[in-house]
Amino acid sequence: MIIQRISRIISNYEMIMPLFAGAVSVLFVVAIFSLPLPYYEEQLYPKTIDPASPLNPYERGGPPFTQVTINDQYPENSPTAGYVTSYLTPFSWYLANTTLYLGTTIVAHPGGILDEILYNTRGLDTVVETTILFIAFAIASYLYRKG
Amino acid sequence: MWQEFSIGVLLVFIAAVIAFFALVVEKDDLHRLLLLDLVEVSSLGIIALLGTDLAEALILPGLVVGIAELLALSQIYVIKEGFRDKVVQGLNIEVIQADAPLIISVLLICYGVVLSGFTGGGVAGLGVVFYFMARGHREHFELLEMASGISWATWIFAFFVFMFIPEYWMFALFLAAIGILLKVMVKLSLSATIWGDGNE
Amino acid sequence: MEMSSLGGIPYYILEFGDELVYFSPYTVSLFLLALVFTMFAVMAKPERQVDIAFGGDAYYAKETSLQELRFRRFMAIACGFASMGAMLTGDIFNFTLFISLVGICNVGIVAAVKNRHVQNAAYQYGIVALSATVPLFGAAALIAATTGTLSMVELWSSATPAVPLVVKALLVLGVMGEGMAPFYAAKAEMFRAPGAPYVIMCSLSSLLIFLRVIEVVLVI
Repeated sequence: MIIQRISRIISNYEMIMPLFAGAVSVLFVVAIFSLPLPYYEEQLYPKTIDPASPLNPYERGGPPFTQVTINDQYPENSPTAGYVTSYLTPFSWYLANTTLYLGTTIVAHPGGILDEILYNTRGLDTVVETTILFIAFAIASYLYRKG
Repeated sequence: MWQEFSIGVLLVFIAAVIAFFALVVEKDDLHRLLLLDLVEVSSLGIIALLGTDLAEALILPGLVVGIAELLALSQIYVIKEGFRDKVVQGLNIEVIQADAPLIISVLLICYGVVLSGFTGGGVAGLGVVFYFMARGHREHFELLEMASGISWATWIFAFFVFMFIPEYWMFALFLAAIGILLKVMVKLSLSATIWGDGNE
Repeated sequence: MEMSSLGGIPYYILEFGDELVYFSPYTVSLFLLALVFTMFAVMAKPERQVDIAFGGDAYYAKETSLQELRFRRFMAIACGFASMGAMLTGDIFNFTLFISLVGICNVGIVAAVKNRHVQNAAYQYGIVALSATVPLFGAAALIAATTGTLSMVELWSSATPAVPLVVKALLVLGVMGEGMAPFYAAKAEMFRAPGAPYVIMCSLSSLLIFLRVIEVVLVI
């Protein structure tokens, strides 16, 4: 009897979202009770903040065309790791040398947000990510044109 | 044992519980869609608590997946609810009827291309958005779709250059920068075209 | 690093920077399954739904438009590739991304049908799939925070700390959310709707990602 009633509720697909959301929130409550989680201190790609640098929040190493040491998982797989991170366009390089506040506009040139991890060492993530965007775009435009 | 990390995680978990509980209670489909955006924030929060450069690199895919699926879902919602018949015209403002949109758009697009990368895509996309919103659009849609495909292919190609001929990292970097420029621009301009009177 | 794990000893590891793609007996067999079904999706012709008028001998077949056919075939093939990627990848975050790609492809396969009922199912499924990215990505980030690595090969070795049970549970729940497509497809009676063969990809891909996440959770 109970199984029948449960299956009747589940078979209504409007109910799946509340059920799933409920399951997730219960799991998060369980997760809260299992806190504190240990934080592993020796992380990959550690972040350092150097307030004196003109690239401040995004400072990732030296002048362009020098190889910065990157603490990645398998250094032998990415022999040129460290170049992309330090690359600045000539204009950005000029700005970095004249003002202290390039860091605030760092996203405006390749080498800032276009960073090593996304493009080089963890490039496969970015490929999948753009594919997801591409598929979503295809769905939206197909529905838009043919709906 | 209660370091800063665990305290942050506690806060994000509480936020996640609240957001998911809201999803349990909410019955209206549109409100569910809006709540999803809220829910996404908690996943970004967990990633950000990692606190390394890696976190920065993981947030971008996380964010993009959320935005992409919202785009597709909102389109499905529009179809499902049958909102297609409501015609939206271009903006009816005097300045916009003149040549201003063209000039501003060209300036924005040129500046965006100079900036390149993610922000460049944003700026150039804004230019395209402005143009389409002001002028309406007719036949540009297939063009945008094609540009999206091309930027995707450029990106994949750049990835393979990075992986298999790392000596040419500079070339790959530029390819990737162009790819992301096109990608962001196309996605932004889509948001301008998709609200208009669609298939003629 | 020790490779004695559930999936068997990898034959070959393909290296993409920090992300390893590995071919162990388990992943290869799942990969081949995905490959074979993707080939089916490439070759298959869509089924035509036939309605028979009751009480007479008249019947009419519903046509699937070429555009819908092409779109759904594209989505089915993309879904096949996404499942292949999810089978082979050796990186937790990359795995979660492939899972979300499978999810959105399934949304696409379901949503392509022009029918209010089916669209509604696709929408509900899309909402579940999108909210499932929270436990998915959250679990990946928590694994990185508690163990300091995302590579499954590193996580096998005893050098890294154990992943907390609750984090594994989050990962599994996330995959469940993304893999709910067959339920919706079945409810929306998609298997009997025009253009049927592509819906098989929904069921197959969610079966495959469930099988893979079991392996992942057991070895890390």
